Amino acid sequence: MAEAAVSFPLTTAREGQRRAAAREARIAWLLAAPALVLITLFIILPVVAVVVLGFTDFELGYDEFRFVGFENYAELLSDRGFRISLWNTMVYAASVTPFSILIGLGVALLIEGETRGRAFFRTVYFLPVASLLVAMATVWQYMLHPSIGPVNMVLAFFGIAGPNWLGSSDTVIPSLALIGIWQSAGFNMVLFLAGLTAIPRELYAAAEVDGARSGLDRFRLVTWPMLGPTTLFVVVISVINSVKVFETVKTLTEGGPNKASEVLLFTIYQEGFVYLRVGYASAMTVIFLAILVVLMFLQYRVLDRQVHYS
Amino acid sequence: MNLIRHALAGLAISAAIALPAHAETTLTVHYPMPGFFKDVMDNISKKFMDENPGIKIQFANPSATYEEGIQTIMRQAGTAEMPDLTFIGLNRLRMVNERDIPVDLGPFIKADGNMAQQGFSDTILKLAQVNGKQVGLAFATSNPIMYYNADLVRKAGGNPDVPPTSWDEVIALAAKVKALGDGVEGIDFRWQGDDWMFSGLLFGAGGTMLSADEKTVTFNDEAGKKAVAVLEKMVKSGVLPNFTAQAGEQAFFAGKVGFEFKTTGGLRNTIKNVGDKFDLRTAKIPLIDPVNGKLPTGGNAVVILTRDAEKQKAAWTFAKFAAGPYGASVVVPGTGYVPNNELAAKSPDYLGNFYKENPLFLAGLSQMDRMIPWYSFPGSNGVKVTQTIVENLSRIVEQKAGANEALDDAAAEVKKLLPRK
Amino acid sequence: MNGHSLSPARLLRFALLSFGVLIFAAPYIFMISTAGKSQSEIFSSSLSLIPQTWSYGANIAKAFTRVSMPALLLNGAIVCALILFFQVLVAIPCAYATAKLKFRAARAMMALVMLGLLVPIHATALPLYVAFDRLSVLNSYFALVAPFSISVFAIFLFLQFFRALPDDLIHAARLDGMSEASIVARVIVPNAWPAVTAFSIFSVVAHWNDLFWPLIVVTNQTYATPPLGLLYFRAAEAGDDYGALMAATLIITLPLVLAFLLAQKRFIEGITMTGLKG
Repeated sequence: MAEAAVSFPLTTAREGQRRAAAREARIAWLLAAPALVLITLFIILPVVAVVVLGFTDFELGYDEFRFVGFENYAELLSDRGFRISLWNTMVYAASVTPFSILIGLGVALLIEGETRGRAFFRTVYFLPVASLLVAMATVWQYMLHPSIGPVNMVLAFFGIAGPNWLGSSDTVIPSLALIGIWQSAGFNMVLFLAGLTAIPRELYAAAEVDGARSGLDRFRLVTWPMLGPTTLFVVVISVINSVKVFETVKTLTEGGPNKASEVLLFTIYQEGFVYLRVGYASAMTVIFLAILVVLMFLQYRVLDRQVHYS
Repeated sequence: MNLIRHALAGLAISAAIALPAHAETTLTVHYPMPGFFKDVMDNISKKFMDENPGIKIQFANPSATYEEGIQTIMRQAGTAEMPDLTFIGLNRLRMVNERDIPVDLGPFIKADGNMAQQGFSDTILKLAQVNGKQVGLAFATSNPIMYYNADLVRKAGGNPDVPPTSWDEVIALAAKVKALGDGVEGIDFRWQGDDWMFSGLLFGAGGTMLSADEKTVTFNDEAGKKAVAVLEKMVKSGVLPNFTAQAGEQAFFAGKVGFEFKTTGGLRNTIKNVGDKFDLRTAKIPLIDPVNGKLPTGGNAVVILTRDAEKQKAAWTFAKFAAGPYGASVVVPGTGYVPNNELAAKSPDYLGNFYKENPLFLAGLSQMDRMIPWYSFPGSNGVKVTQTIVENLSRIVEQKAGANEALDDAAAEVKKLLPRK
Repeated sequence: MNGHSLSPARLLRFALLSFGVLIFAAPYIFMISTAGKSQSEIFSSSLSLIPQTWSYGANIAKAFTRVSMPALLLNGAIVCALILFFQVLVAIPCAYATAKLKFRAARAMMALVMLGLLVPIHATALPLYVAFDRLSVLNSYFALVAPFSISVFAIFLFLQFFRALPDDLIHAARLDGMSEASIVARVIVPNAWPAVTAFSIFSVVAHWNDLFWPLIVVTNQTYATPPLGLLYFRAAEAGDDYGALMAATLIITLPLVLAFLLAQKRFIEGITMTGLKG
């Protein structure tokens, strides 16, 4: 084909390219069309609907509703419960994300370095991810029982008086964070394992030649930089998932005691599905989504620069 | 072609005419708390279908709690998914009524003519009325009672056969139980979740939640102050630890708590979970005002949703059956609820013998004359109001606020949530 | 780095991993223990792992009779399979187009994908529910599957993978005269298999365990999924039937665990090749 193109005059060659490019674009559109249609239907349109509902006073069960402009948002600003909810969610996410990532990385490194029983270890650490959180939360509730639960019983054996994990407003978020870390570390472990297995062995050999002896050196010079993209992905996903916490709160504390464990998605659920104030809940959802978008944006900006791509 | 078309038409017409005179009516029934009611519902529906061969009962997916049940019904109202009957928590009847969802049972009762003879006294009918309108029929009703661990009481020097009758006596005895050590606690009081147990204290002191015209908050008046004082005394005496609802109950099952105050509806489950670990007893709950004090009625009512006249007739038959003496005779032993039907309680055909053989169930029964409706707040923030009360109660239990301070704060917040008409 | 000798480093590694296993598996140990206890034995003041009254049979029987467990498991399988099928079917062409072909919407596509990753089903549930209700498609496999038929996570994953695929492979196919469609089918898909396997695990795990959405759209028991079945054992006012609940949870979790054990290696390989390394 190339030979034929050269002997044509320039304008026709460019036209040929343009036609080819147009054809390629058309095919690309066709291939992407189903995805685009579905995204529009199931993500974009509902989000638009939520935004519109945020400007109404729609309540579930009644047929009519009115448009109330920014009234819902004004109410949100003065809503003490919403502010507490925002704060709790931030604290929770800030507690779960770093530990979940560190433990995931640590376990991945340990498993990677081990040759026996890998499958077993991988499965056990991944189990929490594969289990129904609602059911596991019930088990955790029993385990964290202040007087007859195993955790406090074991602590008592060592002479430590275990706290009222889920009952006291001081320890409820740490307790939920503990369960959150337990539930997500395995997910990060799998992602890190993949990233680790992809590091070419030659790099380690080269590093050793250059004088890197200890494991710490190898990690610092080869592993960590090569894990860059994986780490970025893990951090982004972890932050977003921890902000979306809901099921543990719903099953274990229902936001209590006295809103000490109330988180954004739970507040939205309460307002929309329990108090049936769908308009107000929609306004909250819009703010929730806005926060996520900002978080995502910031992370990509800040972290992407530091990632080393090969 | 024409011949075939005519033949088909003729076939269709004759089929329509020849259809059996009474086609089978199928009723879809929705209920909450299957862990609790599934066996009860299966039993009742089977007996009903035996006695009413033209009506078939099928069950929609049950909801885990009263709250989820309401949400489901709200979402389904007016759609094809809406069940024909449902069971709604007594304090949420007002909310569904405001959205015009239940069918008014007044005309059915009038047509029936002899509800009282079937055991539906006026008091019982009132439990499921909203502003005089009969929204449903009370199906399972409960009141708060006192459970106690006779072994712990005995060890603490009390006499389990003579349970305490006033709050001061309870707290004093609970303190002695706590002094036994070894992780034992004095009291588990179910203040969490909703305002029901608080109502137990409030109504027991002769108080009300709102004024008669529902414009003023009255739960922080004299009676309310006495009510939270009891709670505060429990906390300050060190006998009420800050349990979550599940943790408290589980500790009691394990034999680590002296007294438990919660609904009589949990009796059967408590018996099963305690097993033979300790000697379980029940008794009346103390009233702050032993003369005029009242108790809130928990539980749920059967509500008819279908607007189809044929189905409504069948639904009415089922509703009466479920809320009637047979239904009560199934609900009570399986759960611990008290019979919502006077015939059931007295007649040996139904429960007369049961109570003789199961004295633990007598506590709830003996308090039936004190039962008044569980109060539901007006307006669209009705649910949020109960949450506000619970949150302020938790401040008392965690000792983050004084009793009167928390009570007044609750009153102020609730006032803001009431409708501004 | 080599696991041949019993060096102190290796012992330490093993010790740490095992300690971690103990903590991570602790809830499961208690779950298995509780599943074998009778109701009166579960809450007691002493800590005992071995049930005194051996009730595994009774609790498992309760789990199977309280709900139609086989039907639940079947529904779970059908729903997850359908969701996975459509997710992959839709995502592969789209990811390929965005990665390899030039068209202006490519950047918009990436933005959409990012947006999609953020929006949880909890946020869009109500409008979707109302829409499905108006179309009378509630209580059906369609309602359970449709909203999840698009997985932006899949597009994202496959995108990374395809970017790493050498262009020559595709040029060669084009030179052979293959149409784009057959390129996708005959060149891309076979090469994408590891990525697909990896994604399958994520998808199946997420949707097998999904409670929120089925809770809203399904009220007819014939379409109930496994998590809905677990609700039968819960009763807020009276307390849960823990033993049976634990037994039921075990039954529901087991298929996933087995699947993960079997698919593990391909799973890790798959993620590796999606080019997360860069």
